[in-house]
Amino acid sequence: MARTLLCEVVTPERVVYTNEVTMVVAPTVDGEVGILPLHVPLVSVLDCGEIRVRHGDQPDEVEWIGVSGGYIQVHEDKVIVLADDAALASQIDVERAKKGLDLARKQLEVAEDLGEHEHGRLERDLKWHEIQVAIASKDD
Amino acid sequence: MANLRDIKNRIESVRSTRQITRTMEMVATAKIKRAQAAIEAARPYALSMMEVLGNVARFVQGASHPLLEEHGKRERVAFVVITSDRGLCGGFNANILRLMEQAVAEERANGAEVDVIAIGKKATGYLRYRGVEPLASYTDVSDRPTFDDARDVALRLTRTYEAEELDAAYVIFNHFRSVADQKAELHQLLPIARRVLEDSEEGLDLTPEYVLEPDAESVLGHLLPTYVETLIYRALMESAASEHASRRTAMKAATDNASEMITTLTRSYNRARQAAITNEIAEIVGGAAALEDA
Repeated sequence: MARTLLCEVVTPERVVYTNEVTMVVAPTVDGEVGILPLHVPLVSVLDCGEIRVRHGDQPDEVEWIGVSGGYIQVHEDKVIVLADDAALASQIDVERAKKGLDLARKQLEVAEDLGEHEHGRLERDLKWHEIQVAIASKDD
Repeated sequence: MANLRDIKNRIESVRSTRQITRTMEMVATAKIKRAQAAIEAARPYALSMMEVLGNVARFVQGASHPLLEEHGKRERVAFVVITSDRGLCGGFNANILRLMEQAVAEERANGAEVDVIAIGKKATGYLRYRGVEPLASYTDVSDRPTFDDARDVALRLTRTYEAEELDAAYVIFNHFRSVADQKAELHQLLPIARRVLEDSEEGLDLTPEYVLEPDAESVLGHLLPTYVETLIYRALMESAASEHASRRTAMKAATDNASEMITTLTRSYNRARQAAITNEIAEIVGGAAALEDA
């Protein structure tokens, strides 16, 4: 058995994913990073996007996890993802995600006069919903 | 002597009250468990967060970040006050509000202006009744707080702090020590105490050769606001657990009192009934005696 990485994805509210994996690809603000075993210790800021986790050699042994931003720390074959919000593709309800996306769009349209504070929040919300819809359809 | 029917009505009324308090007690017991589980679920994130923060902090020795800087003035201070939306939970809200009054009075005496962010209907109502408009008011979050709520509160504070429109921020909440022990506490949020960074360096397994992307300052710049968010989230969850624990204690006392009252009332009811019977017999005997004499 090849060397593996312990990958943990945690949000403030729960542990989303934890498993032995062979590769993690994560979206940092500087672009995607691919992490294999024996990676150099790393701390990086994550962008809103998708994490790909490979836990075997077969093409279908891939897990998609949406994250809305956060941090990733790699240390001694342990990958910790501190996500603001995260969801496993296989657990996203596509219909619900689409409804959430529509709602987020509508809210943003009427939000122009709500000020910077509210607007920024809704923009993040919209982006997060787009990611969820995108990866939910990938899993099918 | 109290009327028999009056006593009976009274017993019925106390009994139905007891039914309600007992149910609330049981509901609160179940909710404590849920709230405790939520605190547990948040622990992995908080721990990892401290680890990352500690690692990063070492790379930016003497780092400056707006959230770490003291402003050297104290003109505007903010308090985040966490109360419940519903009552019937003993001294839960009263303790918080008392602590808030104290802290606010102290800041005012030192010449600072005070803003309050009210969480829970009780704090909002308390302030409005006294003609104080809270800076922001959040309701319907105290029972089951989410991280989004915490983020929203944190963002308000960090923005104004970075713009130097705010010089210090505190959170006042009920600390959940155990099911039987909750205490109103005041914790500092901003500026972030430097010792947080130093403390987290000790006792953790640290390797020196971390690669930080994009660079140490921007990682720290992202981490510190998140740190404030986790502090507030933690306070919200502690408060939720405390609320249920406090309500359970209060409702248990109420249920016990009701039971005691029912016992006392039943006793006077029986005594009154017995007295009525004795009275009736005495009347019959008296009547019979009067007939015999005739």
